[in-house]
Amino acid sequence: MNPCSVAAPQLDTEGDGRWNSIHNRFLSDAKGKDADVIFIGDSILQALEHTELWNQWFAPLHCLNFSIHRDQTQNVLWRIKNGELDHVDPKVIVVHVGTNNVEHSPEQVCEGILEIIRTIKDKHPSVYIVLPSLLPRGQHPNMLREKNAKINQLLKEKVANMKKVEMVFIDKGFVQADGTISHHDMHDYLILTNAACRKAFEPVHDLLQQILSEGEPEKDLTPSE
Amino acid sequence: MKMVLSQRQREELNKAIADYLGSNGYTDALEAFKKEADMTGEMDRKFGGLLEKKWTSVIRLQKKVMELESKLSEAQKEFIEGAPTRAKRTPAEWIPRPPEKFCLTGHRATITKVIFHPVFSLMVSSSEDATIKVWDFESGEYERTLKGHTDSVQDIAFDHHGKLLVSCSADMSIKLWDFNQTFECVKTMHGHDHNVSSVAFSPSGDIVYSASRDKTIKAWEVATGYCIKTYKGHREWVRMVRVSPDGTLLASCSNDQTVRIWNADTNECKMELREHEHVVECVSWAGEAAGAAVNEAAGGDNRRANHQGPFLASGSRDKSIKIWDVSTGQCVATLVGHDNWVRGVAWHPGGRHLLSASDDKTLRVWDVAHTRSLKTLYAHHHFATSLDFHRSLPYVISGSVDQTVKVWECR
Repeated sequence: MNPCSVAAPQLDTEGDGRWNSIHNRFLSDAKGKDADVIFIGDSILQALEHTELWNQWFAPLHCLNFSIHRDQTQNVLWRIKNGELDHVDPKVIVVHVGTNNVEHSPEQVCEGILEIIRTIKDKHPSVYIVLPSLLPRGQHPNMLREKNAKINQLLKEKVANMKKVEMVFIDKGFVQADGTISHHDMHDYLILTNAACRKAFEPVHDLLQQILSEGEPEKDLTPSE
Repeated sequence: MKMVLSQRQREELNKAIADYLGSNGYTDALEAFKKEADMTGEMDRKFGGLLEKKWTSVIRLQKKVMELESKLSEAQKEFIEGAPTRAKRTPAEWIPRPPEKFCLTGHRATITKVIFHPVFSLMVSSSEDATIKVWDFESGEYERTLKGHTDSVQDIAFDHHGKLLVSCSADMSIKLWDFNQTFECVKTMHGHDHNVSSVAFSPSGDIVYSASRDKTIKAWEVATGYCIKTYKGHREWVRMVRVSPDGTLLASCSNDQTVRIWNADTNECKMELREHEHVVECVSWAGEAAGAAVNEAAGGDNRRANHQGPFLASGSRDKSIKIWDVSTGQCVATLVGHDNWVRGVAWHPGGRHLLSASDDKTLRVWDVAHTRSLKTLYAHHHFATSLDFHRSLPYVISGSVDQTVKVWECR
């Protein structure tokens, strides 16, 4: 059995039950907020919610963010199967998870993400799924960086022909010429800084705007001579 | 429209196209294109993703241009026409003008509703932090906090004396608060099966009406706290309920995209107004004074229509505001201009203007007779959720997801 694609809650290793509390809060948020876009995933997306950028770019699109620090694919899957996407009717769901599946192989992680996509599609057949690619991690080149690149590669091939599933590559431009990642981009060499968030999530924002404004009449603002 | 590219631009475009073809794996097309366009050698890195970038930036620039243009025209108008001085303003004409007089902070979550007290210089705000706060809008001072609800407070309303405040909450309860002396909760009413989204007093003050996500509207007797009627018909979450000035009709709006008019006494649904294309967030009954302006709007060029009213304004997530003649069920005017969901509407006491609050973070003042936006106030850092116009004093208040309440003075 692939542990990445079997729904499981995050283990409460610290004993304060926070993971469950957050999940319950998401359940109640889902009921009242009528979001057009839902972000669901791991630390990378969770950190995004606490940037200035979130308020500037994403909040005006009516977004909710159901992301939890350290979540792995099987945890996100568990949350989806346990109600987080049940009382909502979003147009787009943004999924970013997998970088924390450190013990699993690229193939397993990719399969886990695909299982999440299938589960979302079962619940919301007409929703648009956006997948920002996994970011490189660690100051110096390492196995996990290579693994994330491999997951991105595998996932890209798998989703290429799926309808309404769009992968957005946000991982470029962080590894410098000497192979290191700067703490100006990722303060702990995993999570993006404010400035880097802007760089990485700009294409995601562009894509969301386009998806959400599809069907609205286009305004012609080209200067006429 | 014909556009001409310079030699250099055309070369760049070709390179960008080549990069696009290459990076998307259209290798045959790339080879053919390179041959036809006579391109040789390696690609420069600066063309990576250039075509996509140009494509997406057009949309972003369009948005920016429109934003700037509307701000510019606002500034020009302010500059050319100016605002009347405090001494020269008249109650029928005054409208809120920036900057705000007070920005009040204290709530720990989204402000859901702001309302004026009908008599004293007080205003009240409700919030998703489960509290209600009372403020003095003339001095900007914080007065007190009403605690009792256990979840987001969704709506609040005063009776006509301002002696009782009613509130409703996502905790499914409705509470009455004594506003005469004790500021304590005097009654809690249960009966809805879901989030209670809106409350309103009848003009006499004997009855409270409530709307809920359980798709119903209920009438409650204030004296006893009993539910005396249930109005069924909406197919989805009922967002707001408001009582007509004479107390005979209720207007409600819902996620089912309709506005409904109910006979308050018999709980019969008299009318279903369908023209909005998305969830209808809010409704507001017009006073008598609005009749002339609404008829001018409905009549079009040089003609005055002869609608009797009463009139009702509704705001929707389809970004529009509609004005309805409730005697016939006709939509007599549509106000378009907000760039995001419309969350609150309030009539100017003078009747010629309508005000609205929107998720585009602005408040707008509409010239009803000419169905156009007269003024835009860039009011908040986040969605503007609610607003109210004082019945006799030159003040407007607004609330927002940015957790602030603002007081605007009119001139």
